[in-house]
Amino acid sequence: MALRRRSGENLALRYVILCAWALVCLVPILWFLSIGFRPRTEIITPQPIYWPTFSLDAWHMIWDDWPMANYLRNSLLAIAGSVVIDLVLAVPAAYSLARYNYKGREDIGFYILSTRMMAPAIVAIPIFFLFKGLGLLDTVWALMLVYAAINLSVVTWIIRSYMMDIPHELEDAARTDGASDLRILWEIVIPICLPGIITAAVIAAIFAINEFLFTLLIASTKNAYTMSVALANFTGGSDGKIYNAIALVSFLAFVPVFLLVVFIQKHLSRGLTLGALKG
Amino acid sequence: MTQTAFKAGGAAVVAASPPAGRRVRRSAFQRKLFPYLLVAPAVCYLLMITLYPGVYAIYQSFFFVRFNEWIPAGFDNYVELFQHDEFWGALWNTFVIGGIALTLECVIALALAYYAYRDPLIRGWRIVFLLPMLFMPSAVAFIWKLAFADGRVISDLLMRVGLITENIDFLGVVWNARLTLIVADVWQWTPFLFIIFVAALQAQDKEIEEAARLDGASWSAIFWNISLPLMKPVIAVAVILRGIDITTMFANVFIMTQGTPGGTTETISFFIYRMGFRTFNFGYASAASAVMLILTLIIAQLLLKRFFRSGRA
Repeated sequence: MALRRRSGENLALRYVILCAWALVCLVPILWFLSIGFRPRTEIITPQPIYWPTFSLDAWHMIWDDWPMANYLRNSLLAIAGSVVIDLVLAVPAAYSLARYNYKGREDIGFYILSTRMMAPAIVAIPIFFLFKGLGLLDTVWALMLVYAAINLSVVTWIIRSYMMDIPHELEDAARTDGASDLRILWEIVIPICLPGIITAAVIAAIFAINEFLFTLLIASTKNAYTMSVALANFTGGSDGKIYNAIALVSFLAFVPVFLLVVFIQKHLSRGLTLGALKG
Repeated sequence: MTQTAFKAGGAAVVAASPPAGRRVRRSAFQRKLFPYLLVAPAVCYLLMITLYPGVYAIYQSFFFVRFNEWIPAGFDNYVELFQHDEFWGALWNTFVIGGIALTLECVIALALAYYAYRDPLIRGWRIVFLLPMLFMPSAVAFIWKLAFADGRVISDLLMRVGLITENIDFLGVVWNARLTLIVADVWQWTPFLFIIFVAALQAQDKEIEEAARLDGASWSAIFWNISLPLMKPVIAVAVILRGIDITTMFANVFIMTQGTPGGTTETISFFIYRMGFRTFNFGYASAASAVMLILTLIIAQLLLKRFFRSGRA
């Protein structure tokens, strides 16, 4: 009886707290969505307008007045390219770290992880001059290389974690059958840890969409502006920030990220902890 | 043909495998060099973005750089760096803003995880609570800049409730400006910790909980005495990862405050950016980078090996 009553009390408190936080999450998002679909005149006003008139102004503006198609293409190319680079480099590296015993393996693994701790600002100036020297400033190629570098540690560690879970017996059996190590990697290990590889790719793609500092330094025109940095450039001279366009582009980037995350939902916590937490 | 055979894994394939002598020689090679070859491309790539820039920053920090002119400066950049309050200020701001935000995120995420993980609607809560994290940081910065400053929504709402009588200057007052950065960060990144904490709680052995329940323990007692101690390693990993990201905070500062008022919201990342790309004082900015690089390496050594599981489990 006492137990029942106590859990009853907890339940009310539980739903108050959970609903409160759900509102904290949802209200700003819905309000920001309404910003994207209201006319310019109703955004920055002496009194905030809570029930705006519906308008597609921003939608027309981002396509007609701004090179939105370029921003989208740059984002997509840079992200896709960087994820491919990451997987090509990370899969063999992860396999090596997960499956072989050799001198220095631990140190190499932790060196790779430690690059995750480096603040982008620390390497920003040398990287800027490096790309300037290579003539790659304001190109998608530079973004691709930088995004790949930022995410390589994360991708390697996630995949390594999934590879360590594969029972050795499978590979041992194949090895006694004379299969080469590369073939074991390609035909046994990769198919089995495909969920881990996909999780790593999705998380790398999301980090790449979010990237701000390097993109700000590398991109200077529509040749390389991505959605993340283009936002900060939606200004209309004396009119200040064009918030309805900013909101709309924010949601354009949000939708694919949302779909990707729903797709890997079961693996999300494991991916975010770089494999430390097996969900 | 051999492919299907080896997939089947039967004894029949032994005949198809290479002669024993060759295989032994190759596996000796494999054991020694092959793993290094596999990991080498990734390591080389990472050295390119860590070792090269590190050496470059340290080298550049001993020069006054004006456009293409490099004038040897000895330790002058470092002397200037340590004597000026700006650098210490930026370190302090990063620590204060990051520390408060990280603490809030941790407390809120733990509380939410505690209430949500046994809830039948947990899948729904997870999706809803996750949403803020799925926006680009630059978008989140604009959401809160509009709400706090440009659109005056927060002030208006507080006035309607009757808590204040006139608009609050959110970006002009030191702690108000810091608060906007903290709110934006907490709103966006509490989900990161929440997702991890919930997964950790769900992964725990249900039988221990059941046993404690049968003994009459309350859920909060179970949480404090059993679940939380078991979660410690996961909490450590999550907080380290979040802590790393919070100390590199840049987009929010760039979009929301630009370091104002009076540099009190300038984080270390924004400081390096401003010194390099606004005042073009590259040598000085590199000195700051070099100091941060060395700090980072020390902290990385201390934290990573302790809290990240390595080797075969």
